[in-house]
Amino acid sequence: MSVGNQNVTAERLTNDEILRYSRHLVMPEVGMEGQQRLKAARVLCVGTGGLGSPVALYLAAAGVGTLGLMDFDVVDYTNLQRQIIHTTNDVGRPKVESAAEKIAAINPLVNVRKFEARLSSANALEIFREFDIVADGTDNFATRYLVNDACVLTGKPNVYASIFRFEGQASVFAAADGPCYRCLYPEPPPPGLVPSCAEGGVLGILPGLLGLIQATEVIKLILGSGEPLVGRLLLVDAMAMRFRELRLRKSAECPVCGLNPTVTELMDYDEFCGVRGEEAPGAAAVPEIQPEELKRRLEAGEDIFVLDVREPHEYQVCNLGGYLIPVGQLAERVGELDASREIVAHCKGGVRSAKAVEFLRGVGFTKVASLAGGIHAWSDKVDPTVPKY
Amino acid sequence: MIRVVLPPNLRSLARVNGEVQIDVAGQVTQRAVLDALEDRYPVLRGTIRDHVTQRRRPFVRFFACEQDLSHEPPDTALPHRVVEGDEPFLIVGAIAGG
Repeated sequence: MSVGNQNVTAERLTNDEILRYSRHLVMPEVGMEGQQRLKAARVLCVGTGGLGSPVALYLAAAGVGTLGLMDFDVVDYTNLQRQIIHTTNDVGRPKVESAAEKIAAINPLVNVRKFEARLSSANALEIFREFDIVADGTDNFATRYLVNDACVLTGKPNVYASIFRFEGQASVFAAADGPCYRCLYPEPPPPGLVPSCAEGGVLGILPGLLGLIQATEVIKLILGSGEPLVGRLLLVDAMAMRFRELRLRKSAECPVCGLNPTVTELMDYDEFCGVRGEEAPGAAAVPEIQPEELKRRLEAGEDIFVLDVREPHEYQVCNLGGYLIPVGQLAERVGELDASREIVAHCKGGVRSAKAVEFLRGVGFTKVASLAGGIHAWSDKVDPTVPKY
Repeated sequence: MIRVVLPPNLRSLARVNGEVQIDVAGQVTQRAVLDALEDRYPVLRGTIRDHVTQRRRPFVRFFACEQDLSHEPPDTALPHRVVEGDEPFLIVGAIAGG
């Protein structure tokens, strides 16, 4: 199987290109024809973050002729631990601009197409049609399903990887006769069950590992060589340094690529994934206190019990001197709390403390509120010496 | 002793590291393994199987010996190598980080 423009005779290599790609050209598995295929190929990187960084850097170096970069975000300091296409000087700049600059430095022969926009049901099909292969480096379930469905509907292979903490998954979905992402996971988990990398963390090196697996699969698809990860799910456990390969089957009942598909056009993926209001689920239903008000009342000497529902390792990063009970232990340790006192629960961003308040109210606590925006909002609005993480 | 590998978010929920080893009485089937797992870690109830229907939730899959067992009937015996503890029963869940 080879993906992309099969008529590559027009993509003759210049002498400079022959020198640049000489380590490819001496291998018969690539050779002149393979390098011409790479030059003729058009690959879209959706996301230029942890996964997209190594994918874009290596594909550019390898000589992929046209690279699409799609990202709506700007570089921030928390990205730099793993998103190696961006540097400290890029903080605040659009990721697409930052990434395009690095690619131009590595290989000015690459035609970079910049899409500084959020992938949506309105733009995905039109953009995907202009490329041969899509590399999914997004970071949320809604966009994962959008990328998959758009790939199936446009007939483009979806070179997939995802990461969480120390583990990753990789596959090639939506290739001819192969399963798609929905064959594997027909529906997303409910919001909150699987934390994001921002909530659960991720080893900075891990997207490097998984991104290079993606880049390798992209190259193989273009060359039509090797055994692509079609119909196979690769599990990577960086802590055990164990790679497991699982066989996947195309599902006849798949709603998008099955025998009788019900998904024939793109949908509202936020609604499908139930992420409306994901920033603070339940926040509207629980009482909140603003950081400025909490500060004023604490300084006035009011009797407020500050409850920190984060994890101990987060407490070590920064704290407000609160009493620590991780939200997952609240049910078994609720006896440590005095229901007669006023309690303000806080976490990092306000999501876990909203859950904690919801739980405490459910077991009879009446004077309990969540710190709006968590310790990050405290840092922004009250005390900038408290670090954000 | 049956070896079970949980997805990372469920390991955090159950507060375990690495593989879980559980005793299963009688025939070793998906249902028997999941029942024993949920007996030992009640917090996992509803995360792998639906609370009411007890059917696998659509964002997790079951694998063993590289094969996808997700659509096998829950009372089908698991592969011999899982029963012998040579291979783990893998519960794989969707993740989305990038």
